[in-house]
Amino acid sequence: MPRHLRWLTPYLFLIPGLLWLTIFFVIPMIVMASISLQEGSLGTGYTLTWNFGVYPEVINTYLPQFARSLVYAIIVTVATLVLGYPIAWTIANRGGRFKNILLLLVIMPFFTSFIIRTLAWKQILADNGFVLGTLKDFGILDPGAHVLASPLAVISGLTYNFLPFMILPLYVAIEKIDPKLTEAAMDLYASRTQAFRRVVLPLSMPGVFAGSLLVFIPAVGDFVNADILGSRDTTMIGNVIQRLFLQTNAYPEASALGFVLMAAVLVLVAIYAKVVGANELTAG
Amino acid sequence: MRSQISHRPKALIASLLVTVSLVGCGISGQSQAPGASTPSVATPPPAAQTPGSQASTGVAQSQNPPSSGGGGPLNTANPSSIPSIATGPATPEPTVAGSVSWANWPVYIDIADDGSYPTIDKFTSETGIQVQYHEDINDNSEFFGKIQPDLQAGRPTGYDMITPSDWMVAKLIRFGYLQPLDKSLLPNWTANAQDVLKNPWYDPGNIYSVPWQAGIVGIAYNPKLTGRDITSFDDLLDPAFAGRSGLFSEMIDTMSLTLLSDGVHPEDATMDDVVAAQQKLLAAAQSGQFRAFYGNDYYDALANGDLAVSMAWSGDISQMQLYDNPDVKFVIPSTGGMLFVDNMVIPNYSQHPADAYKLMDYWYTLEAAVPLTEYIGYFSPVKGVQEAVTADAQTAAADGKPIKAAHLTQIANDSFPTPEELQNVYNYKNLSEDEERQWNDLFNQVVNG
Repeated sequence: MPRHLRWLTPYLFLIPGLLWLTIFFVIPMIVMASISLQEGSLGTGYTLTWNFGVYPEVINTYLPQFARSLVYAIIVTVATLVLGYPIAWTIANRGGRFKNILLLLVIMPFFTSFIIRTLAWKQILADNGFVLGTLKDFGILDPGAHVLASPLAVISGLTYNFLPFMILPLYVAIEKIDPKLTEAAMDLYASRTQAFRRVVLPLSMPGVFAGSLLVFIPAVGDFVNADILGSRDTTMIGNVIQRLFLQTNAYPEASALGFVLMAAVLVLVAIYAKVVGANELTAG
Repeated sequence: MRSQISHRPKALIASLLVTVSLVGCGISGQSQAPGASTPSVATPPPAAQTPGSQASTGVAQSQNPPSSGGGGPLNTANPSSIPSIATGPATPEPTVAGSVSWANWPVYIDIADDGSYPTIDKFTSETGIQVQYHEDINDNSEFFGKIQPDLQAGRPTGYDMITPSDWMVAKLIRFGYLQPLDKSLLPNWTANAQDVLKNPWYDPGNIYSVPWQAGIVGIAYNPKLTGRDITSFDDLLDPAFAGRSGLFSEMIDTMSLTLLSDGVHPEDATMDDVVAAQQKLLAAAQSGQFRAFYGNDYYDALANGDLAVSMAWSGDISQMQLYDNPDVKFVIPSTGGMLFVDNMVIPNYSQHPADAYKLMDYWYTLEAAVPLTEYIGYFSPVKGVQEAVTADAQTAAADGKPIKAAHLTQIANDSFPTPEELQNVYNYKNLSEDEERQWNDLFNQVVNG
C-alpha cells in the first residue's frame, strides 16, 4: 500500500466487523422497526402505516411488566456484585497457582445449557422435592410453603445464571491492582477498610461497571427464568414479548416492545455511566 | 513475571466470553424470528414437483380473501362445497421420491431403548422411503408463525407432512396453505378410519386432513393433595387450591373449558360470553389462584406434586399413572371437556407429496397403529386398535408378563373414550382472525400478571 494511504489500514481492519454488524444487527433492527410500525394480520398481510401509536399503547399496557423487569434486574445486579466481589478478590489475591482452576470452576456451569441448569433448579426446589420436602418432613416448613412460582425463585435463578458474568470482569480488574498500592496505603496509616475503600475499590471500578452491564442487560430481557421458575405474578417483559411473538403472532406490538426495552436499557446505562463514570472504564 | 502469569487467565476469559455470548445468541435465536430457521434450500418451482391439479388448487385457494370469514358464518356452517372437491378429477399418481420430511409434536411416537423409532423404521424397510422425523411442533401458533412466511411467499417449508391440531388445521385451510388429499391414495384410511373422527368440524369431508391421534382436554388431579374428588372446572378456582392449580397457556384450550363451565358451548360463544369467561379467570388469577400457565411442562408439576389440580390432556395422564405418579386421576369436567384431534396434512409446496401419502396411509394399518397406541396411549383414529391392544394384553398375561399386561389393559381401557364420554366433549370454535386477536388480547391479560 502506498505510504500516503497507510492511515487507511486500521479502517480496513474494521471492514469485516462492520459488515458483520450491518448484516446481523443493523438490518434486523431496521426490519423490526418497520414491523413495529405496520398494521394488519398474518392473513390480510401487514402494511406499513407508520403507526407510531403502537409505542404509547404497548408502554401503557405493559408498564407493570416493564417496571418488574427493571426492579428484578437491579436486584440481580446488586446481588451478583455483593456475591461476586469477594469471590473475584479471593481468586485474584489468594488464588496463587490455583487461579486458572478457580476461574474454570466459575465458568464451569456454562458447560451445560442455560435451560438445563434452570430446569434443574425447578427439580431441586419442587414443593415436595429433595430440599423443601425434607424441611417439611421435619416440620421446619409449613406443608403449603413453596419457593417456586415466587419472585424469590426468579431473582435467585437470574442471580445464579448471571453470577459468572459479574465475577470474570471483576477478576480482571482486581487482578491488575498492584498489591504494593495497598501496602503503601497501610504504611500511610490507612486501616484495612480504608485501604479497600480508598484504593482497591476505586481501582476496580472498571470491573464493577463492566460486570454490572453484563449482568443487568441480559437480566432485564430474560424470559427463561421467569418462565421456568416463576408464575403469573413474576411475568417479565421478555415473557410478554415472547408470548406476543410466538403465541399471539402479534408482531408489531412485540417489535415495538423490543424497541422500548432497548431504549429503556440505553437510557439507564447512560445514567449509570454518568454516575459511575464511564471514563473509569477507559482510564483503568 | 506477574503479568505473564495473568496473561493466560485473561485470554481464557476473553475467549470464554465470546463463546458464551455465541451460545446465548444460539439459544435466543432458536425461539425468535419467525421463519428464520426454516430450511431455505433453493428449489425448482412447486408446480414441477406437485401434480398439476394439486398445485393449481393451492393457488386457487390462496386467492380466496382470507378475511371473508371475518364476522361471517363459520366454516363448519358451510359444507356445501364438500362433494365436488372430494370426488374431483383423479390426479395422476405422483411418483415416490424415497424421502419424506415430517414435523410432529414431541413424545408422540414410539421410541426404542436405543433411540430409534421402530414403527417408522418398519415403514422404511417396507417402502424404501426414508423418514426425516422432526419433533418441531411445540405450539400450534408458534409453528404457524414459523412456516407462514414460506407458505405466503410460495416457498417449500421443508416439511412434506405436518401434524397440527384441529383449530390450526381450520386456520391453515382458511389461509389456503394445505393441499387437498386424493383419497384414492389413502385406501387404508378409507377402510380403517373410525367413523366418530371422520368428517370433523374443522375440515368437513376430510378434504385436507386425516387424524393422527386424538384425546380430551379435561382436568387431572392428585386426590392425596386435593383431599376430595374433582368433578368440575370450577374446582380449579376453589380457593382451597390457591397456588396449586394450573391452567394451560394455550388460549383456545383454557378459554373453551372456561366457557363450558359457564354453560356456553365454545362453538356458539359470543363476544359477551368470552368477556364473562375472561373476567372469571382474571379474578381468580389476580387472587393468586393459579401457580402458572403451562405448556407441556404441567406434566412434571403435576407428577411431582407442585400442582394439586390442573388442566390436562387425557393421553398424558394414562402415561403418568403408569410411569410417574399412580395417584393422579383424569376426569372430564361435568360441564364438558374439549375433544382435540391432531391431524396429518400436506402443506403446499411439499416436495415429496407421494411419499407423504404413503406415510399417512401407513398409520391407518393395524401393524403401525397398534404398537403406536401401546406406546403413546392416545385415542387412535384407527378401527380395531382398542380390540388389538386388549388382545395383546391377554397374550402378555398368558405369557406371564403381568406388568406389560396391566400396562396394555390400562391403555385399552383409558385411552379410548366411551360413547357416554364422547357425549360430554365439545368442539372448538373456528375463530376468524379478528376473533382470534380479540380472544388473545383478553387472555393475555389473564396470563400476564
